[in-house]
Amino acid sequence: MAKPLGIAVNPASGKDIRRLVARASVFDNQEKRAIVRRALVGAVEAGVRDVCYVPDSHGIAKSALEEFEGTLRAEAVESPQTGSVIDTVGGARALAERDCGAVLTLGGDGTNRAFCIGWQDAPLLPISTGTNNVFPVLVEATLAGAAAGLVASGRLTLAEAAVRAKAITVKVEGQRDDFALIDAVVTRERFVGSRALLAGDMLKAALLTRADPAAAGMTSIGGLIKPVSKDDDYGLYLELDPDADGVNAPIAPGLYQVIGVAGHRRVAFGKPVTVIGPCVLAFDGERERALKPGQKATLRMQRDGPWVIDVVRAMQLAAERGLFRIKKVRRTPRKAS
Amino acid sequence: MAEAQLKDDQAPRKLAYVNAITEGLHEVLKEQPEAFLAGEDVAGAGSVFGYTSGLLEEFGADRVIDTPISEKGIMGLGVGAAATGCRPIIDLMFMDFLGECMDEVANQMAKMRYMFGGHARLPVTVLTMSGAGMSLAAQHSQSLEVWLTHLPGLKVVAPATPYDAKGLIISACRDDNPVFVLLNKLSLALQGEVPEGAYEVEIGKANVMREGKNLTLIAYSRMVHEAMQAADQLKEFGIDAEVIDLRSLSPLDTDTIVKSVKKTHRAVIVHEAVRFSGFGGELAAQIQELAFDYLDAPVGRVGAPFSPVPYSPSLEQSYMPNAKRIVAETRRLLGV
Amino acid sequence: MTIQATDAVLLDIHERMVRIRIFEEEAGKLMENGKVPGALHLYVGQEAVAAGVMAHLEDTDHITSTHRGHGHVVAKGGQFNEMYAELYGKAAGYCKGRGGSMHICNMEIGMLGANGIVGGGIPIAMGAAFSKKFRKTKEVAASFFGDGASNEGSFHEAANMAALYKLPLILVCENNGFGEYTRQDNHQAIVDVADRAAGYGMPGVVVDGMDAIAVYEAAGEAVARARNGEGPTLLECKTYRFYDHVGVRGMGLSYRTDEEVENWKQRDPIKLLEEKLIEQGISTKRKINALHKRVREEAMAGIKFAEDSPLPDPDGLLEDVYYVQA
Repeated sequence: MAKPLGIAVNPASGKDIRRLVARASVFDNQEKRAIVRRALVGAVEAGVRDVCYVPDSHGIAKSALEEFEGTLRAEAVESPQTGSVIDTVGGARALAERDCGAVLTLGGDGTNRAFCIGWQDAPLLPISTGTNNVFPVLVEATLAGAAAGLVASGRLTLAEAAVRAKAITVKVEGQRDDFALIDAVVTRERFVGSRALLAGDMLKAALLTRADPAAAGMTSIGGLIKPVSKDDDYGLYLELDPDADGVNAPIAPGLYQVIGVAGHRRVAFGKPVTVIGPCVLAFDGERERALKPGQKATLRMQRDGPWVIDVVRAMQLAAERGLFRIKKVRRTPRKAS
Repeated sequence: MAEAQLKDDQAPRKLAYVNAITEGLHEVLKEQPEAFLAGEDVAGAGSVFGYTSGLLEEFGADRVIDTPISEKGIMGLGVGAAATGCRPIIDLMFMDFLGECMDEVANQMAKMRYMFGGHARLPVTVLTMSGAGMSLAAQHSQSLEVWLTHLPGLKVVAPATPYDAKGLIISACRDDNPVFVLLNKLSLALQGEVPEGAYEVEIGKANVMREGKNLTLIAYSRMVHEAMQAADQLKEFGIDAEVIDLRSLSPLDTDTIVKSVKKTHRAVIVHEAVRFSGFGGELAAQIQELAFDYLDAPVGRVGAPFSPVPYSPSLEQSYMPNAKRIVAETRRLLGV
Repeated sequence: MTIQATDAVLLDIHERMVRIRIFEEEAGKLMENGKVPGALHLYVGQEAVAAGVMAHLEDTDHITSTHRGHGHVVAKGGQFNEMYAELYGKAAGYCKGRGGSMHICNMEIGMLGANGIVGGGIPIAMGAAFSKKFRKTKEVAASFFGDGASNEGSFHEAANMAALYKLPLILVCENNGFGEYTRQDNHQAIVDVADRAAGYGMPGVVVDGMDAIAVYEAAGEAVARARNGEGPTLLECKTYRFYDHVGVRGMGLSYRTDEEVENWKQRDPIKLLEEKLIEQGISTKRKINALHKRVREEAMAGIKFAEDSPLPDPDGLLEDVYYVQA
């Protein structure tokens, strides 16, 4: 059954202080607009006719849709307009209410994390326009749009084209819950501040859904010690201590630091990891929450995150089923005179 | 000095106006470690007029700096660097480009010291090229000195001779105020006596180029030479003209002007800029304010017509004031 | 690796912010009551930016500011007596009564003036940065300007030259959402001024300008880059002015809704920082109140000083047009 394709663009991704410290790349909003346009071209070719988008504060999705007037029915969902992360969370909830068959997100790990706070089991195709990009994929937007479009339009099922991601849910004593897709990190820092998680000597612990030696970010610390793939049904816990022997890890794009690792262990699904303040909790590469002295937080990992559409798998299925094959309508050949 | 005396019996050293500019800059860069020269094409190309050639090789790229074509930026560079311990020499390729940086000149450079209650000192010198005569048309030929002389806080000088070009550049760069040195492109090849080494020409001091009895011709920049020729020609009409080269427009050497007019009782002002609203208006007003009772004739003004500078050589020649026109205007005023 | 604000730094930033807020509130009253001539553009709401950046600067580092410049002078270390005296047009003012609010400066602490021309300070700061590099110092220059000024040619020329010459310059864009009375979406097609940095070959960063700690951290990286000879940075701080473009009216303005103002006031930068200081046990409500009281008293003393000071002697009108060699 054809459902709308959802679009959520984070206008603020790819602009923080990590441009200075970690030589991360800048994603200007013209480029994000161009990515949405290319994805929409793919989606249209895959059969999408309805699009629901979160109206971002920079008008990126809206302006990208302008040239598809007449081709696509576009609807802006109701969402908060605060210019903050609340917009992404609220936008995700609205897209869930509209029952989108697939959602294209533009951002980094932080953006997708925020989206999943609003819609935890969303059918996502995350396109990377952020700083830490472990969760989203670096993929040509045209094909991302096509793959998401095949799922949204019902030509492929979610179960055959997507894989459910692991996630960490965080219960914070006396406050709202939180969520992470790739990593939850405990630091001795005191403030969320500029959000960037770059002070390696301040790290205390990390819980990783993936420990990827071939990615930049906190995931690399575990990845260079004991890799855990996104398909493994467990996670990795790291005890971090600047005085311990360490690993030289790319903790952000363009930035290696030696991180002392005092210990590591596998963490089974559902097993609680407890953190007690004072500390700052960082999720998916950004400082998010400051815990007061004595305040407790409990972290648990499950495979209950979003469905992530695999572009390669989706397009292989499309090829097998001939979804993009076109039969030529042959006219009677004219005789050469 | 000793060297200069040794050469006493030799003919004085002659140098072209363009080379005198270079020598002035050379002396300043040599004596002032905080000085640098920045502008469009001043380093690699030696300036489009050639007057900075050789400076890059001698003083290096840290001190002779090619800038982007960004007059606001260049002028701001001069203001900011001057306010913080440098002695910038800024080259504004053509005076016409003032329009691109008038905020930095008029609102920042000219006023910063005053607005800051005297707490800023801006030792910045701006060289810029004025004047018509090379078929560069309306946007590369203007004489816009009144745009600058109307601004309290700036000093404006306009050398007519190679000697003054070098001396005024050195004086300007030693001055702790913003000074504009208005150069003239048709004078670049003009030869004149130029001593070696550093010397100053006092800013605010006019030069009586030629003494006379019954007419004062007041001019600056290239028009000084036209006035000198006119003075020669006026002899046959019984007029013995005194010629004053103002050299400095702001501050203005009113004393020298008034003294001369009181002696000759007649004055004709000559400039290449458009006559209407030109600097001659200020001079004429000051003369009538300060020497009204001494005047035997209205104060005359010779300047360009109220028109943009034309391109075609024939039009441009009829646009620019010259000796012939000075003679004609003088005769008309004096009825001779 | 990142710059961590120590307790001492946080308290210092907080004090700078409180000083700005109280100076401005009292200045606004003076304008309302007709005590000072001219027009005042108040900095209230944007304090985190000036304080967070200035905490990294020494007296030998230079800044240029805007027509909304009191906050930058206070944060750079300006004294209330001389500042109020200047607003009053008194001889004891920083500019001897010749500059007033829009040209207030103090060269001794590296404050190269507020500036009545939008974008006017940017090329000057670039020139100051050039001077610092030319003189082979480790000093830096910073230019504060708004989203409106980022549309001026002066910004673009200065940004290009700063990147070209790798100057120690921090371009601090205080994006308060308005160029005078015109909303940002009505004066530029972009939302993040930081996007422009890439066009000049320098890094651009967006930071929450209501969060002093975030500003402090980001500015610290930019200043460190500048001091290390790595060139300029465009640091965009998203902020908001609580009062009108000119004067003290905050609400009931035709070009913005009261709701919008209220929403931003929820994120009052001083309130946000004070909550964190108390939460982390760095300060207490009592200490904070005492600081506000002390600064308020200092402001009152400054106003009294200004009122008691003589006006400039009209005979000295022409002083300071030119520097005269002694």
